[in-house]
Amino acid sequence: MSLRIAVPGGVLLDGACALLTRAGVAQVRPESFASQLLVEDGRNHLIKVRPTDVPVYVELGAADVGIAGKDVLWESSRVVYEVLDLGFGGCRLVLAAPEGSGLAGGEWPASLRVATRYPRAARRFFDRIKVTAELIKLHGSVELAPLTGLADAVLDITATGNTLRANHLVEVAEAERSTARLVVNQASLKTRATAVEALAAALRRAVQGEAVASR
Amino acid sequence: MEDAALAGAGAPPGRAGGFTDWLPGAAELRRSTAETFLECFLAWGYGLVATPLLEPLETIARGVGEAGQQGLFRFMDADGALVALVGERTVSVARVVATQLREADRPLRLAYAGPVLRNQALLGGRRRETQQAGCELIGSAGLGADAECVALAAAALRGVGLTAVQIDVGHADFLPGLLESAGLATPDRTAVLDALRRRNLVAVEAALEGTAAGAAERDLLLRFPGLRGGHDLLDAAAAGLRAERPRRVLSELSRFWDLLMAHGLDGIVHLDLGAVRDWDYYTGPIFELFSGDLGFPLGGGGRYDGLLGHFGPPEPATGFVLQVDRCVDALRRGATVAAPAAGRRLRVAHAPGREADAIRVAATLRSGSGGDAVVVCDLEACPAPPPGAAAYVSADGTQLRCEEGRWIAAAAGPPPGMAPDTLRR
Repeated sequence: MSLRIAVPGGVLLDGACALLTRAGVAQVRPESFASQLLVEDGRNHLIKVRPTDVPVYVELGAADVGIAGKDVLWESSRVVYEVLDLGFGGCRLVLAAPEGSGLAGGEWPASLRVATRYPRAARRFFDRIKVTAELIKLHGSVELAPLTGLADAVLDITATGNTLRANHLVEVAEAERSTARLVVNQASLKTRATAVEALAAALRRAVQGEAVASR
Repeated sequence: MEDAALAGAGAPPGRAGGFTDWLPGAAELRRSTAETFLECFLAWGYGLVATPLLEPLETIARGVGEAGQQGLFRFMDADGALVALVGERTVSVARVVATQLREADRPLRLAYAGPVLRNQALLGGRRRETQQAGCELIGSAGLGADAECVALAAAALRGVGLTAVQIDVGHADFLPGLLESAGLATPDRTAVLDALRRRNLVAVEAALEGTAAGAAERDLLLRFPGLRGGHDLLDAAAAGLRAERPRRVLSELSRFWDLLMAHGLDGIVHLDLGAVRDWDYYTGPIFELFSGDLGFPLGGGGRYDGLLGHFGPPEPATGFVLQVDRCVDALRRGATVAAPAAGRRLRVAHAPGREADAIRVAATLRSGSGGDAVVVCDLEACPAPPPGAAAYVSADGTQLRCEEGRWIAAAAGPPPGMAPDTLRR
C-alpha cells in the first residue's frame, strides 16, 4: 500500500531526502522538488511543504506520514503520532542575552521581556524554571529584539551558535533540544498499519546504522 | 438610517470561526445520515432521549472532572449559574439515567443525536460545532453489551453506505496493567502513560529508558504501535507475560473476539492492544471506527463503569458515539455511496389572479403523492403555461396538466381519493 509522505522544505530537506534514500523508502534528492512539489516514486507520493505545515497535512490526512522538526511540534496543536526520532537536524532552543548584560552574567532580573518564535516552548521553559517572563512573539530575526530594545533576551533555535555570536548574544540557558521526527496520522496508523510500520522500521534501521557508523 | 445603510454595504456579514453553514444537498445528507443512525439504533431496541444543549458546569465537573470542562464554551446564565454548552452527551445521558431513569428496568438502552460544541483553538479543518449520534447501554457488566455496541456502530455506518470501515478494538486496562506489572515506579508509569496519551512514542521510549521494566513487558511496550492483529495477537502477547492483570485483559479480549465474530464482524475488526484512549474514563473494552482515507476516526466508544457512580449508585455502562459530520465528509469524499434517488419535482404555475387555485392544486398533488414528489408552487403568475411545469391554472380557472410535454385539461372534479369539498371554493 502506498503512503503519502510530507517532506519539509528548508533546513531539514537535505537530511530528509538523504534518510529516505538511505532507508530505501524513496530515491529522492532536494532537486527532485525543484520543478514540482509532488513527486511520485513508484510506491510512495512525496509532498514538499513548508516545515510548519507538515503537522497540518498529517493531522488532516492529506499526508499519511511526515517528517517534522520537534521545534515545529512544540508549537503545533495538531494531533499526530510522534513515532520516531530521526536523529538529524539537531538544534537547541536557548535563552540568549546581550554580551555584558546582567542576565548574560548570570543575574536574573525580577522581570524579563523575551522575544521568541516559540511562545509555547518558552512558556513551558519559564514555568519549569519558575521565572516570570513577558513573551513577545516574533516571526523572524529574533536576534534584533535585544539590539533595538524590544526585549531583554531572546529564546531561539541555534545549531552552531554563529547567529548568536554575530549579534553579540550569549547563551544563558538551554530550554529544549530538537531533532527531526517521523509523525503519523492517527487514522493512517490504523488503516495503513502495515505500510506505516514497514516505513518506520526501515527509517529506524537507517537511523541506527548512521548512529553506529558515526561512532 | 443612512449610517446603517452604509455599514451594511461594507464587508459581508461574518460567521463565527470554526462553524459551518451546511447548504442544500450537504445539509440534507447530514440530516439523513443522523436520521439513518437513529433509525438503526431504535431498531436494535434503543430508546431515544433528548438532553439539553447545555449543562450546569458543576454537573460536567462531577461527571468527568475538572479536565472535562476544558475546551467548552462556558458562561453564566441570567440567574448567575455557571453553565457550559455540551462537548459530548454521555455525561448528560448518565445524569438522566441516575435521576429520572433510576427506577427503569435494566439493562437500559438509550440513543441520542444532537450538536456538541468545543471551544478549541481555531485551526483549519477542525469544527467547533459538530453533530454526534450515539448509544449508551446501562446496567450490564457483560462483554455481550460491549459487543452489541461495536456491532451496532458498524451496522449504523453500513446503513448510511459506509461499508469500507475498519474497527480497532482494545482494552483500557491493558497498557496501565502492563506498566504496573512491569514493576515500574509510579512516576515512571505516569510518564509513560502521559507520553502515550500525547501520542508521543519517542517519549515513551525515552521514559522506559533506564527503568526497571521487565523484558517481556518492555518488548511489548516498544512494539507499540505494532500491537495490532487478529486473535493470534493475543497468544503472542500473552507469551512471556506472567502478571495476572494484563493476562486477565488478554483472556477477556479473547472471549470478546468470539462475540464480535458471532456478530459477523470478521474481517472488519482488528485487535489493537496499543489503543490510546482516555484511561481515566474508560474501564474495559474500547473501540474506534475508521474509514479508508479519512484522517480522523468516524467514532468510537467503550466501557465506562466509573461514570454513573459520580451521579448515583455505581452501575456498569458501555456505549459509543458516531461523529455524524465526519461520516458526511467520508460519504461526500468516497465514491462508495449511492447518490440518494432524486424524487420527482412538480412545479405548479398559474395565470394572473389564479394563485389561490394553484395553492389548492399544489396541496392536492402533495397529499396525492404520499411524499414521493417535491411539489413547488410558483409565487409569480405566468400568462401562459411555462415549460417544465407539471400543472397550470389558466385565467378561466381551467386546470391543465403536462403529460409528456403536452398540456391537457385535467379531469373535471376532484382527483381520485379527495373529498369533494376540498376543492370547493
